[in-house]
Amino acid sequence: MSTDAGFIELNDINMRFGLPAEALPVVLQGIDLSIAQNEFVSIVGRSGCGKTTLLNIVAGLVEATTGTVTIAGNQVRGPGQGQGVVFQQHALFPWLTAMGNVEFGCRKADISKSEKREVCRQLLDLVGLSHAADKYPRELSGGMQQRVAIARALALDPEILLMDEPFGALDELTRIELQQELLRVWDARKKTVIFVTHSITEALILSDRVILLSPHPGRVFKDYQITLPRPRIRTDPAFNAMYQEIWEGLSA
Amino acid sequence: MKDWLSRYGPSLLVFVVLLAAWEFATTNGYLKPYRFPAPSKIAMGFVEIASEGFPEDLTIWVHTRTTVGRILQGYIAAVGLAIPLGFLIGAFSTLEKLTAPLIIFGRSIATLSLLPLVIVWFGTGELTKVVLIGYGCFWTMISNVIAGVKYVDPVLIRAARTFGVSGPALFWRVILPAALPRIFAGARMALGVGFMVIVGAEMIGTVEGLGALIMEARNFYRSEITIIGMLVIGIIGFLIASGLLHLEKMLIPWDTGLDEVRR
Amino acid sequence: MSNRISAKDVLLGGIGTLAVLVPWEIAARSGIVDPSIFPSPILAISSAAEKLSATEVLDHMGWSLFRVFSGFLLGALAGITIGIVAGWYRTAGYLLRPMIELLRPIPPLAWIPLAIIWFGLGEPSKFFLIFLGAFFPVVTATYQGVTNVDPILIRAAQTFGLKGIDLLVRIVIPGAAPDLATGIRIGWGLSFGVLVAAELIAADKGLGYMIMHARLLGYVDVIVVGIVLIGILNLLTDGMIAWLIKKGIGRWHEV
Ligand SMILES: Nc1ncnc2c1ncn2[C@@H]1O[C@H](COP(=O)(O)OP(=O)(O)O)[C@@H](O)[C@H]1O
Ligand SMILES: [Mg+2]
Repeated sequence: MSTDAGFIELNDINMRFGLPAEALPVVLQGIDLSIAQNEFVSIVGRSGCGKTTLLNIVAGLVEATTGTVTIAGNQVRGPGQGQGVVFQQHALFPWLTAMGNVEFGCRKADISKSEKREVCRQLLDLVGLSHAADKYPRELSGGMQQRVAIARALALDPEILLMDEPFGALDELTRIELQQELLRVWDARKKTVIFVTHSITEALILSDRVILLSPHPGRVFKDYQITLPRPRIRTDPAFNAMYQEIWEGLSA
Repeated sequence: MKDWLSRYGPSLLVFVVLLAAWEFATTNGYLKPYRFPAPSKIAMGFVEIASEGFPEDLTIWVHTRTTVGRILQGYIAAVGLAIPLGFLIGAFSTLEKLTAPLIIFGRSIATLSLLPLVIVWFGTGELTKVVLIGYGCFWTMISNVIAGVKYVDPVLIRAARTFGVSGPALFWRVILPAALPRIFAGARMALGVGFMVIVGAEMIGTVEGLGALIMEARNFYRSEITIIGMLVIGIIGFLIASGLLHLEKMLIPWDTGLDEVRR
Repeated sequence: MSNRISAKDVLLGGIGTLAVLVPWEIAARSGIVDPSIFPSPILAISSAAEKLSATEVLDHMGWSLFRVFSGFLLGALAGITIGIVAGWYRTAGYLLRPMIELLRPIPPLAWIPLAIIWFGLGEPSKFFLIFLGAFFPVVTATYQGVTNVDPILIRAAQTFGLKGIDLLVRIVIPGAAPDLATGIRIGWGLSFGVLVAAELIAADKGLGYMIMHARLLGYVDVIVVGIVLIGILNLLTDGMIAWLIKKGIGRWHEV
C-alpha cells in the first residue's frame, strides 16, 4: 500500500474479461488512483473505455484480473462493503414501491421497523419524492426513478457513492435539477463520490476532481483538480476555460 | 467442437447414465418390464415396427404419414380461413367488437369436448379428425391474427401516411409486415394445438395413425411400442415447429422472435 | 394499451352474438336443419333439463373441477419448484433440463396409454395426465423467467449485500413472476383440455363422461349443453386466474 494512503486506493488495476486463452482485449491497464474522503471525483471518457468496468471493480461486482482496491485500508473482496451504487438504468426492483425500494436499501438489523420506515421516509423527502412513496417504478418518470435509486443507495448509509452515468438518460432540465439535488445531498451527508459521466459540463458542475480515461486499453490519462468556487456557474469564463482544457485533453 | 462438448457434454452424460440405469433396473427385475420396458426392448420394438409394422403391415412410417396428413389438412384449412378473416376483423374495430364474444367463447370450448358431437355429425371417419384439428387450430390462429393487426403500432401507420401510402399499399407494405411476427407465433401455437388434438382424435375409430398406434399397442400389452409412438409424435412435433421457426426467420429477418411464453 | 371494456363494446358484442344465435334458433325451429342433430340453443337447454337433473349436472361439474384443480395445483407447484431449481442451480440445470426438453414436445394426451399402464383406468391416471398438462408449460416458463431476470437487478441487489438464497427469494423469484404467470395461464388451459379428453376415455363421472355417455344414448341436446358448460367453466376459471394474476402483479407489471 502506498504511504499517502487515500480513503479509496486503486493499486495497479488490470482488467481483461474472459479466460486468458480467449485473449480478449485488455480493458483496463495499470490504474492507480487515490481518492480522499468526501472527495467528489468524476471519471470522464469515451464510450467503451472501461468506466463502467472500473466502477464495478470498486463496487466489488467484478473482480479485477490483477491489482487491488482498498477502502479505508480494507481490501474490497465483494459488494456490500459500504459502497452504494447508482446504475445508469435506475435498476429499481419493479415489484417494490418507491418506499419498498428504499426500504430494501436500508439493511440495518438493529433498528425497529418503524424507525426504519422513518429513515426511509426522510430519504424520500431528501430527494423530493415523499408524495410518491407508494408508486411503483413503472408509474414514475425517468427523473423520479433515478431519484428513488439515489435514495435507495443512500439508505445503505454508504460511505462511498458510486454512480454510473446516472443522469445520462434524462432530459436536460431534469438533469440539471438532479445535479443540484445530488450536490445538496453530498453536502448534507458528506459522502465520497465516484461519478462516471461523458459530459464535461456535468463533471465540472459537480466535481472536486476530474479524471480522464483513455480508451484501448483504459488508462488514467489526465487528472484535473477543479478549484472553481461553488456553486459553479456554467457561463463563468473560468468554467469555460476549464471546459476547453478538458475538451482538448479528450481530443488529444 | 470443444464448445459443443462443454455445453452439451454434461447433459449428454446425464442422459446416457439414466438410460443405462433404466436398462439395468429393468433387466434385473427392479422395475417391471411391462411398465418400464428397457431401452434395448424399445430399440428392438422400433426395428419391428419400422420393418414389419404394428398392427401388421402398418409400419411406423405409415402411421406417421397418416397422422401428419390429418394434421396438415385440418391445419391448412384452419390457417387459410383464419388469416383473411382475422385481417378483416382486426382491420375494422366495429367488426372486432361485434365478434369479440364469439371468438373468446369459441376459443374457450375445449376442442376434444366436441368429439361426441362431431361423431354424431360426421361419423367416426377421417372428416371427424380433420374437423377437430381444424377447429382447435382455427381459434388459436384467428385470435393471433386479429391481435397482430389490431396492435400494429399506430406510429408506423401515421408515418406511412405522411409518405402518401394508403389503401391496399398501406395493407401490403405496412400492416401485413408489422403483423407477421404475431401471425407466425400464432401459427406455431396452432400447430401445437393440432398435435394435441390429433392424439385424442385418433384414439377413436381408427387403427392408423400415431394416436391409434399408442392406444392399440397398449391393448396388446406392447408398452415399448406405445413409448416409441410417443417419442415419434414428440420428435415430429418438434421438427415441424423448428421448420416453421426457420421459415419465420427467413421471411421476417427483422423479427426478434415472439416467444410462445411471452404472448 | 388499455383493455377497458366500454358499454358500447358490450352492446356490440351482444349484437354480434345474437346475430349468430337468432338465425340458428330460427333455422332449428322451422326445421331447415334437423333439430335432433343440430338443436336450437333454447330447445337444447329445455330438453336436456328433462333428461338430466340439476344435481346430476352439478355432480359431474364438481368432479371435473375437483380433478382439474387438484392435478393443476400439483403440476404447477412441481413445475415452479423444478423450474426454479433448474434455473438457479447450474448442476441441477444440467441434470433436469435434458429430460424436460426431451419430454416437453410430447403432447400430454399422448401419455394416456402409458398413464393407464402405470396407474390403471381410475383417478390416478387422470390426475397424472392433468398434472402433466400443467407441469410442462409452467416448468418451461419458470425456467425462462429465472434465467432471464435482468442481471442489473441482481447486481443492484448484490450491492446491498444480498447473496445465495436471499438473492433467489427476494430478487429472482419476483423477477420471474411475470413469465411464471404466463406459464400458469397456458398450463391451466392445457390442463382443462386434457381433463376433457381423460374423461372421454374412461370415467363414470365428470362433464367429459356426461357428453360421451349422451352420445351413446343419442342425446345431442345433452352433448351441446355439456360442450357449452365446459366452455363456460373454462372461460370463467381462466378469467379468475387472470384476475388473480392481475391482482398479484398487475400494479408493477403490465399484464
Ligand atoms: N462482461 C464482459 N465481457 C467481455 N467484455 C466486456 C464485458 N463488459 C465490458 N466489456 C468490454 O469492456 C470494454 C469497456 O466496457 P465498459 O466498462 O462498459 O465501458 P464504458 O462504461 O466506458 O462505456 C468494452 O469494450 C466492452 O466491450
Ligand atoms: Mg458504461
